[in-house]
Amino acid sequence: MASLRVYIVRRVLLAIPMIFILLGIVFFIMRVVGDPVSAILGGHAPQEQIEQIKQQLGLNRPLLIQFFGYLGQLLRGNLGRSLIWGQRPVISEIWDHFPATLELSICAFLVSIIIGIFTGIIAATHLNKFLDHTFRLYGIITYGLFIPWIGIMLQLVFGVYLGLLPIGGRIGTLMEPKTITGLYILDSLLTLNMNSFISALKHLILPSLTLGVYLSGIYTRLTRTHLIEVMGKDFIKAAWARGLPRRTVIYKHGLKNAFIPILTMMGLQFALLLVGAVLTEITFSWPGMGSLLFERITYRDFTTVQGIVVFFALIVVTVSLLVDVIYAYIDPRIRY
Amino acid sequence: MKVRKKGRWMVVLFALSFVFLSLATGASFALQTKPIVLGTTDKITVLDPAKTYDFYTWEVFQNIGEGLLKYKPGTTELMPGIAKSYEISSDGLEYTFKLREGLKFTDGHPLDAAAVKWSIDRVMKLNLDPSWLVSAFVDRVEVVDTYTVRFILKKPVSFFPALVATTPYVPVSPDSYPADKVGEPTVGHYGPYRIKKWIRDVELVLEANPDYYGSPPKSRLFVVKFYKNAATMKLALETGEIDVAWKSLRPIDIIDLKSKGKQKVLEAPGPYIRYIICRCNKPPFNDVKLRRAVAAAIDRERLCKEAYKGTVEPLYSMVPMGMWSHIDAFKQEYGERNLALAKRLLTEAGYSKDNPFNVELWYTPTHYGDLEADVAAIIKESLEETGMMKVQLKSAEWATYAAKYITAGTMPIFLLGWYPDYIDPDDYTSVFLHSEWSPDMGVFYSNPKMDEFLDKSRTEVDIKVRTELYKKVQKLMAEEAPVIPLFQGILTAATQPNIKGVILDPVMLLKYYLIYRE
Repeated sequence: MASLRVYIVRRVLLAIPMIFILLGIVFFIMRVVGDPVSAILGGHAPQEQIEQIKQQLGLNRPLLIQFFGYLGQLLRGNLGRSLIWGQRPVISEIWDHFPATLELSICAFLVSIIIGIFTGIIAATHLNKFLDHTFRLYGIITYGLFIPWIGIMLQLVFGVYLGLLPIGGRIGTLMEPKTITGLYILDSLLTLNMNSFISALKHLILPSLTLGVYLSGIYTRLTRTHLIEVMGKDFIKAAWARGLPRRTVIYKHGLKNAFIPILTMMGLQFALLLVGAVLTEITFSWPGMGSLLFERITYRDFTTVQGIVVFFALIVVTVSLLVDVIYAYIDPRIRY
Repeated sequence: MKVRKKGRWMVVLFALSFVFLSLATGASFALQTKPIVLGTTDKITVLDPAKTYDFYTWEVFQNIGEGLLKYKPGTTELMPGIAKSYEISSDGLEYTFKLREGLKFTDGHPLDAAAVKWSIDRVMKLNLDPSWLVSAFVDRVEVVDTYTVRFILKKPVSFFPALVATTPYVPVSPDSYPADKVGEPTVGHYGPYRIKKWIRDVELVLEANPDYYGSPPKSRLFVVKFYKNAATMKLALETGEIDVAWKSLRPIDIIDLKSKGKQKVLEAPGPYIRYIICRCNKPPFNDVKLRRAVAAAIDRERLCKEAYKGTVEPLYSMVPMGMWSHIDAFKQEYGERNLALAKRLLTEAGYSKDNPFNVELWYTPTHYGDLEADVAAIIKESLEETGMMKVQLKSAEWATYAAKYITAGTMPIFLLGWYPDYIDPDDYTSVFLHSEWSPDMGVFYSNPKMDEFLDKSRTEVDIKVRTELYKKVQKLMAEEAPVIPLFQGILTAATQPNIKGVILDPVMLLKYYLIYRE
């Protein structure tokens, strides 16, 4: 237990320079190509006023001074204010958009795991048969697909042609539940608002399916490969010999032992999930962090982009750490 | 037994009638109360007239707020807003507005001369993005009496009424907006609608303002849904999730909607223009012959048909079509296209097929939509059709393009676009052609005659005299070609067939209060 604690502390300490390096890269690259004031006012307001606003925002200071100033603020837990429009605190921008991304990510993550693992199991248990070939192909194709393309196809089929599901947004017009957590599904359940719940659920299906299908391919292939490997092991043969039911052999003994590499992938996929969320959110007009990031990069809103990068980095570090801790729980052989 | 059966049938019939009546009443009630839902890919940037400087948020302010003057729907003609009349002093330096009496903001604060002065002073004091529209022209504001307010200008400005109709002049309540910083309250405005609910980047719900002096909005509830991309918005219109798809549908979506014919597609000339700027103070474009050669060789028709599939119109002046004083100056000077003239001018400038004129044409792929690279490629091809020009396309990301290259004069010729700040020919000409401001736009053009025309037209009040002056400006511009107009945008909205009252006008700000369901 003590070694696990040391491991966690070590990982957290390692994450700090990693975040700073990442931040440094984002900080300098974004400033190379111009500033937000010119991006918004370019050509319209008189040049003197543009310079004056840059002065107010501190954009005329030397880059290194701006960088260390920002780091100083960050160490005090202050992500700063947006440089554009209402100059809202970056943390408010993040909290406004994060629940949407979290809701989408959780659902897409579940969809990807459910589809991925089940197709993987079917492929592994039907080795070299039609279903195996089909799901192997599925695993390769889905990973190579472009998210907006999957999204638009689903929108066309289920939204336009069949008219079954809404094609964009988080919830129907005038149906937002009272905000408690910002997660519409949860909030509508907590406030017993069934209309909102159904509307939020319907709006969630296509984006979750888009991102979920895109990410599921890798789980299909991983589950298949590792399950085939595990199913060839002696303890599985022993289980068959003991006459255990097929379901118990596959799920209890086979899948549990094939699960560690899948879990590793879940941790790694989390970063990819956030990347995928950017494209999915834009396709489905989902008002989350991905849309926010995309918009603010366009407007050169340095502080908001930096804030989102730090926030995403913290999430990825935390999730990786959690996955490592769960390893120890699933596989008693792992010691830190 | 028979009687009991008959009784049972009566009960069933009664129940059915009740259900039918309830449904019918409910449906009719729903029809009356069902809001109009408008979709847009724009966003509310900041809900403060002292800070907001984008068309969409200005549109919202024209619906939840009202200026001293406003535009008559469908025209660029000004009409009284919260001011019922105004007078101009003989020297053109003082504008005195008489306000309507008894108005109050949605937070209950009276909308009087003091509130107007407070709002204008606040815009000038905060000195944010759009403040120059006030502070560059207004010296101070004075309260004459409770319902009379006077603007004292720095110098006479003939288009001041057009400025007064812009959003920085829309008054807001001192009870809701902070005096010394940006605020985003959902109350403290005065207009046909008031905000019922606003979820940033998701939904804006407006309801009729019961205290509005004019006719109430045609639809009591109006909802705006914000989309992240045009494709999704178009699908939302097709599935009936929204009633109106407003800025901005892509050309391909417009063509598709037109061909399907299930929704109505409305079009009108917009105030948005695109053009080429020539850097006039350095070689090679300090030579007027080369600027004229480019102006003569441009194939505007092809540009509009191929790049934009006919969703924009060729433009032959910087003053857009539909605006008073517009003349097709470049068409008069060069025709639609004149390759022979372009070749002759290039020869006179010392170039030939063996010694072609090499030039860099710059564009930015990150500010004017996905088609910008196509636009640049078509211009390159049309210039190279002279056989005497070799065009190298170069691009830069918008922030670099706008922040560094334009004012530094890095680019010899480059593509740019313009949305007006105020609806007046001055906004389309002075900034590009007057020697004082043209360096800010990368034109670096200086011609005393042009300055004289522009200065006169900025102070002249008589619109007939101004019209003649702007015609001279346009003719001189076509002769010297420091800027070369390319095309004018068309405003497009698509609606469900039963939606009426969508009036597209050159002001480009949709009036939600006129829209209704039939």
